[in-house]
Amino acid sequence: MSSPLYSIRNLTVEYKTRTGPARAVDDISLDIMRGEILGLVGESGCGKSTLGKALMRLHTGPARITAGELWFNDENLMELSSRRMRQLRGSKLGMVFQDPMTSLNPVQRVVDHLTETMLTHEPEWTKKAARERAEELVERLGILPERIDDYPHQMSGGMRQRVMISLAIALNCDLVIADEPTTSLDVIVEAKFLDLLKELQRDFNLTILLITHNIGVVAEVADRVAVMYAGKLAEVGDTFEVFAAPQHPYTQGLLRSVPNIKLDGAELYKMEGTPPNLLHPPSGCRFHPRCPNVMDICSVQEPGFDPLHPGDPHRVACWLYEEQPVKVVGDV
Amino acid sequence: MSAQEPEVEEKQQWEEELARVGLVRRLLRARRWYGADWWFVAISGVMVLGFLIVAFLPGLFARYAPDQQVGPRFLAPGAHPAVPILVAASGSGLVNLEDLAVGPDAEVSRPKVAVVRGLPTAGALRERAQVIDDQLQVTGDLRLRPSIERYDTLDEALQAVADGDVVAAVVGSDLFDADAAKFPTLAAGNDITGEQAAAGGFLLGTNQIGQDLFSRLVWGTRVALLIGFASAGVALVAGVPLGLIAGYAGGKLDRLLTLLMDSLYAFPGLILAIAITAVLGPSILNVIVAIAVLYVPTYYRIVRGQTLSVKEDVYVEAAQSIGATSGSILRRYIYPNVIPSISIIFSVNIADAILTGAGLSFLGLGLPPNTADWGIDVARGQEFIQSAWWLVTFPGLAIMMVVLAFTMMGEGLTEILNPKLRDR
Repeated sequence: MSSPLYSIRNLTVEYKTRTGPARAVDDISLDIMRGEILGLVGESGCGKSTLGKALMRLHTGPARITAGELWFNDENLMELSSRRMRQLRGSKLGMVFQDPMTSLNPVQRVVDHLTETMLTHEPEWTKKAARERAEELVERLGILPERIDDYPHQMSGGMRQRVMISLAIALNCDLVIADEPTTSLDVIVEAKFLDLLKELQRDFNLTILLITHNIGVVAEVADRVAVMYAGKLAEVGDTFEVFAAPQHPYTQGLLRSVPNIKLDGAELYKMEGTPPNLLHPPSGCRFHPRCPNVMDICSVQEPGFDPLHPGDPHRVACWLYEEQPVKVVGDV
Repeated sequence: MSAQEPEVEEKQQWEEELARVGLVRRLLRARRWYGADWWFVAISGVMVLGFLIVAFLPGLFARYAPDQQVGPRFLAPGAHPAVPILVAASGSGLVNLEDLAVGPDAEVSRPKVAVVRGLPTAGALRERAQVIDDQLQVTGDLRLRPSIERYDTLDEALQAVADGDVVAAVVGSDLFDADAAKFPTLAAGNDITGEQAAAGGFLLGTNQIGQDLFSRLVWGTRVALLIGFASAGVALVAGVPLGLIAGYAGGKLDRLLTLLMDSLYAFPGLILAIAITAVLGPSILNVIVAIAVLYVPTYYRIVRGQTLSVKEDVYVEAAQSIGATSGSILRRYIYPNVIPSISIIFSVNIADAILTGAGLSFLGLGLPPNTADWGIDVARGQEFIQSAWWLVTFPGLAIMMVVLAFTMMGEGLTEILNPKLRDR
């Protein structure tokens, strides 16, 4: 866990809408370290999935990356041709989607999905070799090799999700972006899947970006966690540190609103207000209308995304931990 | 007990509805009420298969060439063509013309045969007698040289036979059949011409130029199905890739193609086809092209719409995430998921194309005038609709049957392939 594998620099993704551009990802910078599992959490609609897709430049239609650099293995992905980008997808960058029920082609056998991935990137492989590799792969993931001739609808949700991840690691991808991979699985299958994910990460030296709204999942598997709110990063740090001592008021609220049996009948914490409209985000800190610790400066100026202490990898975007510029305070 | 109640109620409801509506609506709603899908496909499948066999092997079914005069004009369906027959006193043993032959020694070797003045039977008799006489002369012992007695009316001629003034009479079979009751002592003999060609008659009658209508219909099947399959096929081959590409690529190309297709679609179909065939000139290929142009937008619109929805599915995004090329995504992910709706339109389009093709040739456009085609037959027969009903009825029925078969098959397939549409 040393050098960054993937560096996001000032990434902005906008959705074109009738009423103007909506910034789903706004000026985000983040490093994904080699070999780690980075959890990306946040409410629905905060831009997590948009960020995940943007990392593979998979955007279509109204979404567009308007600014920023994506450094992966010393290459800026934003400068690559779409042809080179396509070569990277599947071979270096893999993705696991939210709903395993719909993310496999219903009219293609499972084996064809796997061999297609391999043959797209390794055209010199024979079909037979690809098939053998596919059998090995699914067996490694706990699916009987003879089941690869099944159609997706003949498999359970957990099996399909394992097929999806086998697609991502078929060619030893460096980075796997898992977009809510366990949302539609039941808890037992989810636990198994998370174990498998950790195991694969160890065995294949994978780097995983785990996008989820489930704090528990992140606590279970992630080495580091990034909290996202309304297109901005609120807090990034070591999972243990962030969960033990959340600094950003949003993170604090998020952690308090997780149902817990120890609550002992006390009412679950509900955060005030609703997530902001990304077409017209609040001025200053985007969280200020809902923040219990709101100060005057919060609505005026955006806080920087700075280390909690100099040199600390734990970073927070909040005025509580920053020195306020005197001039602004004077004006207010 | 209570579990069965809804079913009973439902049944009563459709039974009530059934009682309220007429036969046509009953037929139309049958499949919704009784769930009779398989029927639709089975019946129409058998019909389509039948039409295909007829189209591929018309020679097996048609006795005559479709464009040759093979019989009298305007012969009603099932009627035998009138032939000159020999009529003699029953019990005389005279059945064939040859029976009149007498030995060479007999001086009076000229048996008297009655004919009616002004009818072609006299000529037929003379010609046929000459032929037989020539044959007999070769062997040498018999001759046939009848003496022809002319009478003004049929009754007079037959009376002469009955009275024994003449040995026999040669009259048209149809005339004798109508008159036979008056002369119980006479019996009809055989066709004097001895030709067997017309013996089978004409199942569906003949048209105004003596062509066999049934043979024309059989050969016309080939033209109808060729137009149907070829034009629907050409439209499919052109429309499906365009729809896929436009739907998948989007942007300017999509807008341009959609504008083009919509403007084609906005034209009234038959008028556009008329315009195209009028420009291209009459030939079966041009008809196919004209009708194909009509149906390209149908495929385009359906496929484009489906593509737009399928390409948003997660598995397409997943395919992009494994680095699949656009071509591969179109071919392996989108196209197979769009096919079911195409097969349905294809079947219905064949029916439509046959109808349009028949409409074009009815208007005298498109096909060369000597083609055996149902539309041409209807057009030619309409002049005689009062005197010869069969000339328009049977080609019209043929068009209806073939269109019905393909439409039913399309509808049946819709329900089987796309059960979600059932409730619409």
